Amino acid sequence: MKLEVKNLTKYYKDTLGIKDVSFGIKNGEVFGFIGPNGAGKSTTIRSIMNLIDKSGVVLIDGKEFKKDDINLMKKISYLPSEINLYDDLTVREMLDYNEEFYPNCHSLRKKLVNRFRLDENKNIEDLSLGNLKKLGIVITFMKDAEIIILDEPTSGLDPIMQDEFYKLILEEKEKGKTILYSSHILSEVSKICDRIGVIKDGSIILIDKISKLSENNLNIISIVSKDKSKIIDKLNAEIIEEKDDYFRFKTKIQSDKLIKELSLFTIDKITIEEATLEDIVMEYYK
Amino acid sequence: MLKRELKINFKSFIIWISILIGLFLFVYLLYPSIISNGNLGQIDEMMRLFPEEVLKSFNLDIAIMDSAFGWIKSEGWIFVLLLMGVYSSLLGGTILLKEESDKTIEYLGCLPVSRKQIVLSKTLCGYIYIIIMNIIFFIFNLIALKLSGDFDIKVFILLSITPLLSSTVLYSLSLFISTFMRKTKKITAICLGITFASYLLNIFSTISTQVDFLKYLSVFTLCDIRNVILNEKINILMLIITIILNLVFVKLSEYKYQRKEFV
Repeated sequence: MKLEVKNLTKYYKDTLGIKDVSFGIKNGEVFGFIGPNGAGKSTTIRSIMNLIDKSGVVLIDGKEFKKDDINLMKKISYLPSEINLYDDLTVREMLDYNEEFYPNCHSLRKKLVNRFRLDENKNIEDLSLGNLKKLGIVITFMKDAEIIILDEPTSGLDPIMQDEFYKLILEEKEKGKTILYSSHILSEVSKICDRIGVIKDGSIILIDKISKLSENNLNIISIVSKDKSKIIDKLNAEIIEEKDDYFRFKTKIQSDKLIKELSLFTIDKITIEEATLEDIVMEYYK
Repeated sequence: MLKRELKINFKSFIIWISILIGLFLFVYLLYPSIISNGNLGQIDEMMRLFPEEVLKSFNLDIAIMDSAFGWIKSEGWIFVLLLMGVYSSLLGGTILLKEESDKTIEYLGCLPVSRKQIVLSKTLCGYIYIIIMNIIFFIFNLIALKLSGDFDIKVFILLSITPLLSSTVLYSLSLFISTFMRKTKKITAICLGITFASYLLNIFSTISTQVDFLKYLSVFTLCDIRNVILNEKINILMLIITIILNLVFVKLSEYKYQRKEFV
């Protein structure tokens, strides 16, 4: 199913939440939704889920997703960043309750419970943050929904469970699921997403394929040299950090041209690294 | 969803019905000793010292506390109306709001159920408990009164219906007010305030004809106990007003909840 978000705008009284947020996600695609704290990621997601009022439209396979559209609600699954479930229940009771709304999902539930090593006998109020997250994951994926919206899904998970979760995402992607993946952790976004959308101050500032972003030729150069100030002046370098003769900077100058320029100076040590997604995105955060 | 609501509200129901039954059981056990020791004359004399308005406000001008049923018709039923009113009001104030206060609304709001369905399931659960509380309390009183002596069964049955009128309106009113709020902290004070203020307005309205209009501001006016005791009738107009008020408040709650933001 295709998820399209068109011109979502939300004001909290006079304060801007999000403005004209638009993007689309195809089936079989994982769309990374990234941005600093307070940028509007959760507001966008809550607007999509009709938990808050907004202007703009959300389309699912071309049909507007309105509040109380039960048929479309069955096709979307949402994992919030903060999991709040019924404290008076055990894990088993909570999953049973969830199953009442999504019949025929018992076998999938069993598989997920085993996969994420969830103890169904525990009380929800006794669960650690990580186990609560695992329960949230099971609840989200047991529905076998066609559109999956995940807000900071790995926070609280240990590295083994994180890996298991990434595998699950890739399996769901293979099945043709449409996945919106909101995260702070750019390394995981670069690992599992096909495209990313960067949101800042409530507006989308970039949407591109991960593969394309990596091709933007941004390099991180580390140099130890007595000619430090001359090199900085010559290359007009954007310094990331510096100490004594050492300095680290970003540049989009092509490597062969850069080496020619640097050959004019005395250099004790040099490292050229390809910029990570984090370095690239940080450029946009500024 | 209704099953779950019934389950989570069961504990508070048991506590409140126990308080109500416990209080009345205490009186039923105590009453024989009060009336058999010749204290009745003294109580009667003491009552004569109070102004007519005060006696009227406790129905003591039309009921004599010479038996357990006499006590029920006067002071006793005031406790019933107040306690059931407080229970119903708190239930109405929290039954919807608890999901937001506990932040479970993000889960509930994403389930494939309409907001109308959420309101109706939760509202129905409250009404069920209010009705069950009345039925259990009726059965308890019926047994206790049978054991304690003669009483007018017709008046008793009619009297037992009256808490339903005030309680259901307080319940639906609190439900509606709660749709304007986000946390349960404030709603508890509001619900208690409404119930007690409503009761006081009802009392004040009996003191003087000049403040008689205050009864129109009180939910307890709907019970019209004096009419039940004097004429052995339920005021049909009050019954109709009760049904209308319940429908209006539930419908308004549903309307407001549809437009509420779950932040």
